[in-house]
Amino acid sequence: MPDRSPDRHAIGLRNVTKTFAGSALPAVGDLTLAVRPGEIVALVGPSGCGKTTTLKMINRLVEPTSGTIEVLGDDQRSMPAHELRRRIGYVIQQIGLFPHRTIRRNMGMVPELLGWDGDRIAARTDELVGLVGLDPDLLDRYPAELSGGQQQRVGVARALAADPPILLMDEPYSAVDPIVRERLQDELLALQAKVHKTIVLVTHDIDEAMRLADRVAILNVGGVLEQYDTPDGLLAAPASPFVASFLGRERGLRRLALRRVADVEVIEGPIVRPSRTVAEALDVADEHGTSWVAVVDERQLGGWIDRAELEALPGSTSVGGLATQRFVATVGATTPLREALDVIVTSRSRMAAVLDGERYLGMVTIDQVAGGLDA
Amino acid sequence: MTPTGTVTGAIIGNARSFIWWEWIFRRPGEIWQRTVEHVQMTVVAVGIGLAISTVLSLIAVRYRWTYAPITWIGSLLYTIPSLALFVALIPYTGLGFVTAQIALVSYTILILVRNIVAGIDGVPAAVREAADGMGYTRARRLWSVELPLALPTIVAGVRIASVTVIGLVTITALIGNGGYGTFINDGLNRQFSTPIVLGATLSVALAVLVDAALVLFERWLTPWARRRSTL
Ligand SMILES: Nc1ncnc2c1ncn2[C@@H]1O[C@H](COP(=O)(O)OP(=O)(O)O)[C@@H](O)[C@H]1O
Ligand SMILES: [Mg+2]
Repeated sequence: MPDRSPDRHAIGLRNVTKTFAGSALPAVGDLTLAVRPGEIVALVGPSGCGKTTTLKMINRLVEPTSGTIEVLGDDQRSMPAHELRRRIGYVIQQIGLFPHRTIRRNMGMVPELLGWDGDRIAARTDELVGLVGLDPDLLDRYPAELSGGQQQRVGVARALAADPPILLMDEPYSAVDPIVRERLQDELLALQAKVHKTIVLVTHDIDEAMRLADRVAILNVGGVLEQYDTPDGLLAAPASPFVASFLGRERGLRRLALRRVADVEVIEGPIVRPSRTVAEALDVADEHGTSWVAVVDERQLGGWIDRAELEALPGSTSVGGLATQRFVATVGATTPLREALDVIVTSRSRMAAVLDGERYLGMVTIDQVAGGLDA
Repeated sequence: MTPTGTVTGAIIGNARSFIWWEWIFRRPGEIWQRTVEHVQMTVVAVGIGLAISTVLSLIAVRYRWTYAPITWIGSLLYTIPSLALFVALIPYTGLGFVTAQIALVSYTILILVRNIVAGIDGVPAAVREAADGMGYTRARRLWSVELPLALPTIVAGVRIASVTVIGLVTITALIGNGGYGTFINDGLNRQFSTPIVLGATLSVALAVLVDAALVLFERWLTPWARRRSTL
């Protein structure tokens, strides 16, 4: 459950309902949701379930019918709407850059509203260009001269210009093609690692939500909150058939995609040092039930030797002098478990060696990977 | 477009001598004076028309229900023939500048209101939402976002209004307000074609010139619309 202590909320919705004039059913019904400072929360759900309405209530582009919304510890109604909005970055799908202003001016809009002087705005603009990865040559162009992906970066830069603690994003990547989308998503994560904003992201794309968000709120029609949890928590225990079907298939595999090899316990594996004898190597293979042993010297993975080869040799022969085969089933500590699983099931030995650069850390099998889901 | 066209046609038809150039060349001072008068009448009428229309348009945009009655009154003013309006106004405002201006201004309202409202309505919803989301107040959004983006449409309205008014100013000469219509009046009274052709030609030339000047003015005002690439 989300933390409900007020001091830990960047945004707190309490029993918020919105019924639009002329409609019988609420677009958002009795929604209670808290967002912690510095986290990315995704609002996901089918079209028309009230995601945009919820987001717009946070910056008062839509006024709630009932309920309260706290922003940074204060009731959002404690200041004029336009002042509240200047403290909250806002990014929309259609971007909405001002066509009659250069990119530079577009980026400086909120600082201008806040009355910053020209030098300060110029310095901040230069900073933003670097932050969102925009070509500085574009600064003196007009929005119509930019590609969709470039415009989207400008939209994000504009939202971040006055360094607001909160960023609201409504389907920011729906209008760009999938390749650009993936790049922009990566950029957002990289950006967030630097700026640590509180981000509320609306999307209808569950994969985007799982990829970007620390926590995901799944809404049903009428703005009913079905479940609010981490991506892993959702996949591990969907609270309703609706959530389960919304999450889709292969939930176990997708949980594995969210975790890394470093999150699981590795085993030592059937390894011998080069100074050991063939007889000792065969004991190691027996102990692990494998038809091979790997040679590891000073935590360096040398290669592997087939059991049949060892059996053909005198037991006192030193392993160090033998020819080995290159060990190809390797993963890194940061490899997602799903990828590690793929390496394991396609390896002959059903095992993958975990390497940190050149250093041998151990082996993982299907058992270790599956164990990762219990953690 | 303007009544001068028909008048010119009729007179040239029965002209004996066509154009007496020397008569024209002897009057650079008078031509200049009539030009100044014509431009003044036009600028004042379009200026006042633009001011009134802007106010009406802002009301219409803010309170949508007023748009229909505003354009209805505008259409009414637009359809009343100018001569009839002069006659109707003379008892109240006399023969002269005010009467002429009332007639001229009332012709511009419909054209200008329609264009200003269309221009503001044409601002993309996303741009408006972005402005609101960033914390623009309504007044600031109007002034620095909506009006600039509506400029091409507004200037298009000003062009039509100006050309129309330039034509009508030749008629206001009938009630003694100077301008190129004075030449035409003079020619009609004396059955003398040269001033008629001169007055008509000059008013057409002025209309073309003003229209072209407004096109250049718009291009200068809207640099963003020029540098549109083909992305
Ligand atoms: N301004 C509005 N007036 C009336 N109904 C609206 C308005 N905005 C949204 N709605 C309705 O509220 C519901 C939720 O809309 P929205 O929040 O935009 O959904 P989502 O973003 O999840 O697709 C929809 O049924 C929509 O038609
Ligand atoms: Mg939406």
